[in-house]
Order: sequence, then structure tokens, then C-alpha cells
Amino acid sequence: MEVSSLPISASLRAKLISGGYTSISSLFSVSHSDVARDLKISENQALEILRVASQRRGSERSNGTSSIVNGAQSAWEMLNEEKLLGRITTSCSELDDILGGGISCKEVTEIGGVPGIGKTQLGIQLAVNVQIPMDYGGLQGKAVYIDTEGSFMVERALQIAEACLEDMREYHGFLKRDLQACQVNMQPKDFLENIFYFRVCSYTEQIAVVNYLEKFISEHKDVKVVIIDSITFHFRQDFDDMALRTRLLGGMALKLMKLAKKFTLAVILLNQVTTKYTEGQYQLTLALGDSWSHACTNRVILYWNGIERYAYIDKSPSVRSAAAAYSVTGRGIRSSVSNCKRVKMM
Amino acid sequence: MAALMYLECDYPLIDSDFRNFCASHNIISVEDFLLHDLYVLVISTEQHHNSERLKEGITQVLTIINKQHQPWVDGQELLDDALQNKRFLPTGCRSIDTFLHGGLREGYLTELVGTSSSGKTQICLQAASAVAKSWGKIVFLDSGNSFSPKRVAQIVTQTSDLSAYEVDKALQEVMNNVVCFSVFDIFTLFEVLHQLKNNLRSQKDQHIRMLIIDSISSLIAPILGGGAHGHALMVSVGFLLKRLAHEHDISILVTNHMVAGEKGTSKPALGESWRSIPHIRLLLSKDQISNISSISVVRHPQMATGDRVEFAFQQHQVL
Repeated sequence: MEVSSLPISASLRAKLISGGYTSISSLFSVSHSDVARDLKISENQALEILRVASQRRGSERSNGTSSIVNGAQSAWEMLNEEKLLGRITTSCSELDDILGGGISCKEVTEIGGVPGIGKTQLGIQLAVNVQIPMDYGGLQGKAVYIDTEGSFMVERALQIAEACLEDMREYHGFLKRDLQACQVNMQPKDFLENIFYFRVCSYTEQIAVVNYLEKFISEHKDVKVVIIDSITFHFRQDFDDMALRTRLLGGMALKLMKLAKKFTLAVILLNQVTTKYTEGQYQLTLALGDSWSHACTNRVILYWNGIERYAYIDKSPSVRSAAAAYSVTGRGIRSSVSNCKRVKMM
Repeated sequence: MAALMYLECDYPLIDSDFRNFCASHNIISVEDFLLHDLYVLVISTEQHHNSERLKEGITQVLTIINKQHQPWVDGQELLDDALQNKRFLPTGCRSIDTFLHGGLREGYLTELVGTSSSGKTQICLQAASAVAKSWGKIVFLDSGNSFSPKRVAQIVTQTSDLSAYEVDKALQEVMNNVVCFSVFDIFTLFEVLHQLKNNLRSQKDQHIRMLIIDSISSLIAPILGGGAHGHALMVSVGFLLKRLAHEHDISILVTNHMVAGEKGTSKPALGESWRSIPHIRLLLSKDQISNISSISVVRHPQMATGDRVEFAFQQHQVL
């Protein structure tokens, strides 16, 4: 096996190769001082190289079990695990239905649409809904909200939290269960306390926050949703080198994927729209280009249909493409149907 | 290949004298030796008192190098190997199988290219289900959290004509044949592939039929650019995959995405140097209006470029 497949810096790699250490096995039997002397590098660098190499060897050794790849799972195990995973409701039952029960954990979901369609509203709604207690079918988790545009309104979050509490009380009264055991004892301010808010003012800050998230979440294991509103904003300006932008975005997407998988949480990326010139006409599509469109597991596009708001599943590995109407009310995201009924009654 | 000093324990001729002589010609590793003009080297041994021994050393190194090559096989053996061991695995869609003369062939690296939501992952999941059902083990390397066990279960259930009780048992069996692993960077991919290679070599009873990487481009694209190193890694992944495919008779399926090319057209990502690596490149496209999917051949050892087939995906059903 070649040393070029080790995660070490390019200059050290070049030195290793020109010093004759081309295969990883050649690093197993030497001491770090030999390597340091042969390559004219510091002892610390040599130690680091040997550490990486022995790590690789450890992982390659057959571990005695019958698994073909260490740490891999069979689809059957995954299926059973997935059944136990909760989903985050959007508070709009039609939207939940087409999503297969809500926003799923362990996946990255991109939501995009024209300005004013309700992206941020949906973001805030999910940050609140993730906290619904397990007794009420929720995840009882916490939310990380990364705000790049400055559009997060805390008063609005409070409003949505109050409405969510009201709904929970109503549901509670409807069930008429044991009042003592299952009283709704949350306050709207509890909801706000459980939203961790990061304000990001440049794309370097955004990358830094995404890199920091792994540490943050390993300290706050009950975080169940990460919302980035929006992923796009800073990447649409200050960029001359589009290839660099694509690389940075691709790297960031992989980090978020890893986060979603490792901590069993949902990642929501809000995106803006742009026009794209195809086959002689301009069409509205989500921003950040073609390669970005592959980066997410699921993609939901929000659009206007007449006076109604619709959500359309543009891509998903597990559910079919479908559209559903929703509405943005004073109480947050709600079904559009009930809204229509109200109009008719009036 | 290693530095010359590691050869001493097996070949005593390559002692420190010989190595010092080589080092005076800037030869440290076997590669340096190959690149050096051997005639000049032999002539310069004359200036040393032990020239005979040095010459023997040179011959010794050359012999070691000559032993490195793989054994040769003749055409008949190749044909026998191809007919016996390189079988066609199903994609889970009959019209695609017929189109590809039987499906995805073992020993081949097949690449599936397509725009976002054109159905690349769906084909991967279908092929995984079909192979797991009647052929054997699959390893699925997932870089986009897009492996959906629920969807696999759906496909398996739909394609089997068993009673409800039997289905449950069969489903477990089939789903246990699919092994999934999440990979989020290129170095982990290397690690997994080497593990796979070693495990397949050491445990002969382990047999995997198919390896799916969905998607390989999202792992490679972030390291391209900014120096030649990214390219070197990309090419070595490619060769590693082809070697795995050939030595262990595995059919390898990877997916690649599309990026914007000139004048609003789109082209496969990863550029020209990747293009020559997969044996087969298939372009997947979906007509947004009529919702008909099609596969066309971009590169194939036996088929003409541009051959095209239309097909329909298996319907989603609520389980």
C-alpha cells in the first residue's frame, strides 16, 4: 500500500517518497528518529507520520470477526434501527405525509424557495418542533440554528413556541389522560433556551462553525436538529474562483453528512433560488450550481401555486416525488386545508 | 517498492558497502535504481576496490526487480476466466439487463453518470436488492446518507412472490446480504478498500459479488484542484477498484455527478483523467415532462457509444 493514501501533508509525503519510504509497510519497522534523520524533518513530524501509519495498519488487520468491513452494518440492522428513529414533524400533516412522516434524522435535507415563501419560518418551526416531548410523539431534543442572513426573529420563535404549547395542551385535553402524570409543564422560554443560535458573518466563519459543530454536539448530545439559514448567502458573494467554491461546498456537505450520521440528527439546509439557462429558456432552480444539487440526501422545493404555498420533493432516496400544500400562519407552519375551510366558512 | 536498506535481511549482497556506493550516486530506493543509467553505474564500480562484489549487487537488485512482475496468462486462460468467473449480475430492471447483454459484469468497473435526481441511487438500490436476493453479498459504501434500507425492503418485497410469512423471513436473509458503510472522506475510502482486499484474501469463504460506491464523485471532487496530489489520489482509487474487481471477480458500480459545462450543457464531473478509468460509463437521464428514464452508453468495451434504452423505475409503495 502506498504512503500517498495516508492523510499527511503534501510536503511530508514528497519527502517520504523521495526518501524511499514509498509503502506503508516500510514505516512499520523503523523508529521515529530514523525517519526524522532520513527525511530531515523534526521528530514530532516523524512521530505523527508513524502514528498515522500504525493507525492504518491497526484498521487493516483482520479483527477476527466475520465482518467484511469493520464497523459496517447490514441493511437488515439498519432497517430495524430506522424503524425506531423518530421524525421531526413540520406541523403540516400533508407535508409530513409526503416526507414519509416528517423530517428524518440521519439525513441532510435541503429546503429551498423564492424569498417570502417561508423558508425561515419552516426553519424556526423545526427548531421548536424538535423539542416536543416524547409523550407527545416528539424527539425531545435541542436545536442548533446557524443564521447567516440575520433573518432569525426571536419574537417569532416565541410566538411559534407558544402556539406549539397550546397545541400540545389541546392534544392533552383531547386524550384526557392521567392529568398528574403527563401535565404539560414546559414554558415558552424553555423552548427558547434549547435553541443554540450561531450568527455567521462570512463564509470563513461558516466553515469554522461547521467544523466546530462536531465538538459542540459531542458535548450536547441531545441536539437533534441543525438548521443552517441559509447555506447560500455568503457563498453567493466574494467568490471569483468558482471551482474553489464548489470544493469548499462539497467538503462542507460531507462534514454535515458525517454529523447527521454520527449523532443521529437531522440537518436542514435552507437555500435560495437562482435562474438557470437551459434549452433556450430561463428556469428557476435552487442556487449553488449543479454539483451542489448532488450534495444533499433529500431536496424539497417550496413554490407558489396561485395564492397557495406548495412544497415539492425534488429528490429523495426513499420516498417518491410529490407535492403538498402548506400555509404560514400566525401560529407557524400549518396545513393549508384547514385554512381553506376557514375561508369557506367566512 | 522500498528503500534498498530493507533488502539486506533477505539478500546479504546488498550490504552497507553496496548501499554507500549507491548513495554516492543518489540512489536510495529501488525506484532511484531503476531510473539510473545502469551502464554508468557498472563502469563506475571499476573505481572501487571491490568492484566484483558491487557488480554482483547490481545484478542481485535487477533479479529482485524482475521477480516483481505478475505471472503471464495466455488468451485461452483469459477466455476461460472470463466465461467462468466474470458473470453478469442483474440490475433489477429487465430492460436494462437485456440492453447491457445481461447486466453488470463481474470484474468490471461500471460508472453511472447523471444529473441530480435522475435516479442514480435508485439504480444502485435496485441492483443491490437484486444481487442480494439471488447472488450473494453486497458492500454498499454510502457517502451521502442516501442508502435507504426501507426502499431496499420495498423493492425486495415487491419483486418476490411469496406469502406474507415467507416474505418476512426471506427479507431478513436478503437484507443481511447487504452490508452498508458510510464513508465521508477519501482516506477512509482507502482504508475500507484495503481492508476489503485483505479480508477477501485471507478469508476465502467470504465472497462478495458487488461493491457499490454512491457516490464516488462527492468524495473525490473536494480534493481535486490545488496541486496534483488530488489527481494522484483519484487515479490510485481508480486502480485499486479495478484491481479489486479483477482479482476477486467483483462487479463494481460507482456513481458520478454532472457539472455545468459550456453553453448551459452539463458534463460528468471529475474531468478527463477520471474518464479513462471506468471500463463502462453509462449516462442516466430523465425527461422531466414525460418522466421516462433512459440509459445511454458513453463508454463500453463491447457496445457502441450512443446506444440507448428507455426504462421505468419500480413504483413506490407504502409498506
